[in-house]
Amino acid sequence: MPPIKYKFNPDSLSFDKIRLGIRTLLFRSLAYFVGSVFVALIYWVIFAAFFDSPKEKALKREVQQMTIQYELIHREMANVENVLEDLQKTDDNLYRSIFEAEPIPSTLRDGGMGGVNRYEALEGYNNSNLVIETANRLDKIRKKVYVQSKSFDDLIKLALNKEEMLKCLPAIIPISNKDLTRTASGYGWRIHPIYKISKFHYGMDFTAPLGTDVYASANGTVVGVLSAQRSLGKHIIIDHGFGYSTIYAHLSNFNVRVGQKVQRGDIIGFVGSTGTSVANHLHYEIKLNGVNVDPVNYYFEDLSAADYEKMVEIASKTGQSFD
Amino acid sequence: MFRNRKYVLDHSDLQFKQVRLPWKSKILRILLWFGGSLFVATIYGTFFENTFGSPKEKLLSAQIEILKLQYSLVGRELDNSIASLNSLRLSDDRRYRPILDMDSVPESYRKAGFGGIDRYKDLTGYINSDLLIGYKSKIDEIKVRADVQKESFNSIAEMSAEWKREMDHFPGISPVSVEFRLGDGLKWRTVHPVTGTARPHNGQDFEVPYGTEVYATGDGSIIESGWNSGGFGNCIVIDHGYGLQTVYGHLSDIKVVRGQNVKRGDLIGISGSSGLSSGPHLHYQVEQFGTHKNPVNFFNNDVSAEEYNDMIHAFESKSKLR
Repeated sequence: MPPIKYKFNPDSLSFDKIRLGIRTLLFRSLAYFVGSVFVALIYWVIFAAFFDSPKEKALKREVQQMTIQYELIHREMANVENVLEDLQKTDDNLYRSIFEAEPIPSTLRDGGMGGVNRYEALEGYNNSNLVIETANRLDKIRKKVYVQSKSFDDLIKLALNKEEMLKCLPAIIPISNKDLTRTASGYGWRIHPIYKISKFHYGMDFTAPLGTDVYASANGTVVGVLSAQRSLGKHIIIDHGFGYSTIYAHLSNFNVRVGQKVQRGDIIGFVGSTGTSVANHLHYEIKLNGVNVDPVNYYFEDLSAADYEKMVEIASKTGQSFD
Repeated sequence: MFRNRKYVLDHSDLQFKQVRLPWKSKILRILLWFGGSLFVATIYGTFFENTFGSPKEKLLSAQIEILKLQYSLVGRELDNSIASLNSLRLSDDRRYRPILDMDSVPESYRKAGFGGIDRYKDLTGYINSDLLIGYKSKIDEIKVRADVQKESFNSIAEMSAEWKREMDHFPGISPVSVEFRLGDGLKWRTVHPVTGTARPHNGQDFEVPYGTEVYATGDGSIIESGWNSGGFGNCIVIDHGYGLQTVYGHLSDIKVVRGQNVKRGDLIGISGSSGLSSGPHLHYQVEQFGTHKNPVNFFNNDVSAEEYNDMIHAFESKSKLR
């Protein structure tokens, strides 16, 4: 208990007890509070001028580190871009040197990408399933339209014996070529790799590692399993009926016998470099009534319209054949 | 004057005495007040900062947001780089290596050196550590992959040069224009046209008239040039490397000397009937690692006489460019 304090009252010349009323008390505490806030503010301003709160320190450190790393990454990125540009040029030079052709623009070269979701761009929107399905169906329709538009003669034949005919019409790429990187040389005039003069190239070349599976492009009967010392080397001839036959050349090994019936997609042999060939590749020819035709028109089971266009572009640009 | 003075009643002598504080107490009081206010200020400050955050913090947070934005822009560039590396890799794996009969660079090699987290130790402990480490590791991965790609392209370039070299050295054409008929091939000849005895015919004869130009069938160096006592008369032997040698016999004239390097299509001699020969013709032999091979298996019969001429001209102009 603190001692009671008195105040001297000069009017009555007596000592009065100091009594604090509730109002005074309230007023005092309010004044105290305001005062303390004010003082705290002053402290804070002074403190902030010289010191950082732990949170600020952490943030400052964060900003500093992020800035440093950003500059580092930015600088490294510039280096990386230079390196990549060099690599791109090297790639182009290699392409030029190996295929004797102007490099195909990379957007085109990397197209296809059969494995990736072709309709990715459409995902994430409302009704995206519906949109994708529609796009899918449109693609199928486009392919069908392509088949239908082959020629009027074909159409008549199709009408007569549609199903059997479709199975016997060469319609797939004879090796796995999902991203179209294995198209090397198309049908037409090409520089011969040894002779260095233009020779007519009667088929399409697909480069692939030794031993890669080779598929029959349509149903048919194997009419030739031949091993030549030069020219086509080890090659297979399949008769598909309806005037069509296909040749698969420079194989390393066979997987069929003469007279055997094969279906589209059956493994008939393996890629090699036998005969007159300068690298492992498959040489694929299609004959219609004994006359060579451009195989690029016979991949409609495999390729979408867009991929088909890329395939044509790639096949037409390469300057050198491999046999 | 007395208004602010305070008094206490001294109970011992019942007198009012003025309250006087010694200076020590005054200092103590000031210190106490100061400490108290500091304490209160800390409570206020903590409460305020926890609720609202300081302006400084807000500024710093805003800076971090801007930095994050910049990072995301770099991120897009990084993704582009990865995409172009992927396309280069595709080119590498599927376009060049199969042609050159080379194995693909294994995935583990392309991603070499990404085991430890310790690599980014100095980036841990930050609010955005994950982001920083993410970008850093991405760019490190890109760098490694670019290096590997560079190395891979270098070996492809070497291999490609080697492939072309081998292609050029292969005796892949006919030594004389294809307008001429083929004579005797590789066989056991029971009666030699000159000696009349049985001896093997190790090459291919071309029925060419006297004075026909004979060309090198592939790049190589002349290892023999002159009279052959074995019956080939004026004779040239070219070493093509890769275990391959070609022999051109019964020539009337020789245009090259021993040690000389020749290119495919170079004129090396003129046909004739020198040595053991019953009439003008060219004897052409191909040996692979010492065994006689059938020369007709080394070139295709698929060029016309006109094309053959074009071919020789093409080689000539190519040689001039060198």
